Amino acid sequence: MNGGAMRDQWYPVAIAAQLPQKGRDSLLLGEPIHIATDETGGARVTDGAGRILPIISRYGHIWTSLGQPEQDLFPIPEADQPGRRLVDVGSVKVRCSPLRAVENFLDIAHFPFVHTDILGSEPHTEVERYEVEIRDDVDEVWATKVKFYQPQAAKSAQGGITTEYMYRVPSPTCSILYKTSPPRPGEWDVITLFVQPLTEETCEVWPWMALFDDDSSMTDMIHFQQMIFVQDRSILENQIPALLPLDPGKEIPTRADMTSIAYRRWLKRHGYTYGAQLVAA
Amino acid sequence: MNWTPAALSQDIPSGSAAPGQLGDKDIVIWRSASGRIAAWSDRCPHRGMRLSHGFVRGEFLSCIYHGWRYGDGGQCHRIPAHPELTPPEAIKVPVFAVVESGGIVWVAEKDAEPADLPMEFAGFASFRTIRTTVPASIVAAAFGCTGLELRGTLGGTDVVLLLQPLTDGCNLHVLAADGTGPDQLDRVSVAVEALRRQAESVQEFAA
Amino acid sequence: MKLYDYILSPSCYRVRLMAALAGIKLELRPVDFHPGAEHRGPELLALNPSGTIPILTEGDLVLTQSTAMLTYIAATHAPEWLGDDKPAMRAQVAQWLAFAQRLTDSAGAARLHDMLQMPGDIVKLRLAATRTLRELEAAISAARRRGRIFLAGDRPTIADIACFPYVALAPDGGLPLDAYPSIRLWMRAVRGLPGFVEMPGIHRLHELMPEPGPQPDVVRKESA
Repeated sequence: MNGGAMRDQWYPVAIAAQLPQKGRDSLLLGEPIHIATDETGGARVTDGAGRILPIISRYGHIWTSLGQPEQDLFPIPEADQPGRRLVDVGSVKVRCSPLRAVENFLDIAHFPFVHTDILGSEPHTEVERYEVEIRDDVDEVWATKVKFYQPQAAKSAQGGITTEYMYRVPSPTCSILYKTSPPRPGEWDVITLFVQPLTEETCEVWPWMALFDDDSSMTDMIHFQQMIFVQDRSILENQIPALLPLDPGKEIPTRADMTSIAYRRWLKRHGYTYGAQLVAA
Repeated sequence: MNWTPAALSQDIPSGSAAPGQLGDKDIVIWRSASGRIAAWSDRCPHRGMRLSHGFVRGEFLSCIYHGWRYGDGGQCHRIPAHPELTPPEAIKVPVFAVVESGGIVWVAEKDAEPADLPMEFAGFASFRTIRTTVPASIVAAAFGCTGLELRGTLGGTDVVLLLQPLTDGCNLHVLAADGTGPDQLDRVSVAVEALRRQAESVQEFAA
Repeated sequence: MKLYDYILSPSCYRVRLMAALAGIKLELRPVDFHPGAEHRGPELLALNPSGTIPILTEGDLVLTQSTAMLTYIAATHAPEWLGDDKPAMRAQVAQWLAFAQRLTDSAGAARLHDMLQMPGDIVKLRLAATRTLRELEAAISAARRRGRIFLAGDRPTIADIACFPYVALAPDGGLPLDAYPSIRLWMRAVRGLPGFVEMPGIHRLHELMPEPGPQPDVVRKESA
C-alpha cells in the first residue's frame, strides 16, 4: 500500500472530454490503474486487481482515488462563473517528484530565467514581500498580494504589466493560481496545476484553466500554457535530489520562497510525504 | 587520492559550463570570461538545480532556475529575487580542487588535494573524450591492458588513453602523439570508436 | 508563407528557427496537436494526407516535410544557408538532412513517448538515438580539429538547423547530452547565431545579456 495519507486524496487521471477509446494503462502512487470508457460513454477507472475505483468528473478531468476520500474534491467556485472559457490543456509527463512539480508552480522568482520575456525578464527580478498563511478553516495553503512584472502575462496581454497573483494549495498535488485578468481587471483568471503522482519520482501534469478571454482561440490558449509548462519541465527533471526535501537544511529558501516554505510545512504536518524526502541524505 | 582527469581543456572554452563527475559525485566544470577554470558540486544550494545548466557572465556562474550568482570559492554573490540583499557567507557551493595540465582538466576532492601535480604526458596532446557505457576494466581489457592509463597504438598512431571511471561506464580521454595532423587524428578517432564497440559488445555477451 | 504550427514540435521549430535566422516573418496557424489531434482531422488531412505537421503553404505550393521547408526558405530568402554551390557540399547538406530524419525517428520519438505518452519501444528508441548522437559527436569533433564548428563547411547551413532541435531536446526523451562535448559546443554556436529563437525546453542563452544592475526605479514605484 503506497501513499500513506495521500492515498485518500483525489487525483486527475484523464480529460473528461477525451476519454481513451481503447483504454489506457497508467499508474497512481506506484500502483497500476486502467482508465477506460464504459458502455454508456462514461469513464471507468480500475486498479490492478480489477476493482472499480470511485470517480468524480469535474474541472474538465476525471478524478479517482485508491483510498477512501472523506471529503469531496476541493471547490473552485470560479469554474461555474458565466463568461469564463474552460481550457483542457492536456497532460505532460515529467520525471520529477509530484511535489516538486507543485512547488515550482508556486514559485515566481524563476520567471525571468525560465520563462524569459513571457512571464518575466531581467532586470525586473525582484520579488516583493507577500502574504502567506495556512488557512485552518479550509486546511489550505494561501499566498496573497503576490506581484511581479511580466512582459507578456497571458495570451490576452499586450505588453508588460505588473501582475497580481494569489496561490492556493487545496490538496498535496494540486494548486490553483489566481491572476489579474488582462481583459477584466476586476476579475481573476484561474490557472490550475493538477498533478497525477505516477511514482515518487514521476508524474503526469494536467494543467486546466478558467479564463476571461473572448479573443484568443482555444488552441492559442492551450499552446500558451503548454509552452509555459514545458519550459519548466527541463528544470524539474534536473533538480537534485529528485524527491522534495521536507527537512530544513537540505536547501536554502529566502523570503521569496515563503509559499514553498508553507507548502513543505503543510505537507509534513499532514504526512503527505509520497514524493518527499524526510531525512536529509 | 590522485587527480582524476575529468574533461579536456579545449571542451570548456571561456564563458561556458559543462557537467562532469568525480567518483560518484556530479560536478560542474566551468571557465570564466577571463579563462579561470573551476570545478564545483553540480547543485545549486537553493533548490537543487544542476549548475551545469547555468550560464557564465564574466567571472560568475549563475543558476538557470532563479539566477543565483556564484563566484570565486563557490560563494553566492547575488540573489536576483532580492537585488539589494548581500547574500550571507553561508550560501556557498562546495568546491573541488582543479588544475589544468597537458590540455586536461584534473579534479580532486578539496580536502584530499594531491601534493603533486598531475602526471604529464610529454610528446602527447589531448584531442577527444568519448564516453562508453562499460566499466574501465572492460575497456582496458579490450585494449589488451589493465589500469586507467593505457599506452599503445590506435589507427597507426601512438596514443595514451586516460580512463575515467563513472557511475555508469567510463570516459576515455584520448591523447595522440604531438604533431599528428587532422586526417591522421580522424583515423585514431575511428579506431577509438571501434574499441568502444568492441568493449560494449563484450559486456553484451557477458550480460 | 503560412506555417501550420505546434509550439512543442521540434519539426515545426526547425521552420520557425530558419525563418527567424533568415529574417522573414511566417504567418502561424496553430494546430491543436495535443491533446486535440487536430492534425488528423479533415481540414488538415485534406492538406496533408500523411497527417503530420508542420505544413508550409505559399500560393499553390504545399510542403509537408520540414527539411524541404528549410530548403525552400533558404532558397527564396537566404541562399547562403544552402551551403556553397559545389557538388560535395550540396551532397553533404542533403546527407545531413537525411541524418536529421534519423534523429526525428529516434530521439524525437523517445521524447514523444516520455513527454506526451505516445506509443513506442523506449529502449530501442534510445539505443537508436544514442548511435545517432555518437555519429554526430564524432563528426563535429572532426570539424573542430579543422577549426570549424558547423556541420557543412565554414558557416551554418540548413544542415545545422535540421539537426539542432531534436538534439537540443534529446534530454526530454531521457537522453542526457553530458557525454557529448562537441555537440554541446555546436549547440552553443547555434544558440548564439544572430536572430536565434528558442522553443520550450531550450533556454535562452542568458550569457549574451549583461548582468543587470539594480532594478529600475520606474517599476519599483509602479508596483509599490
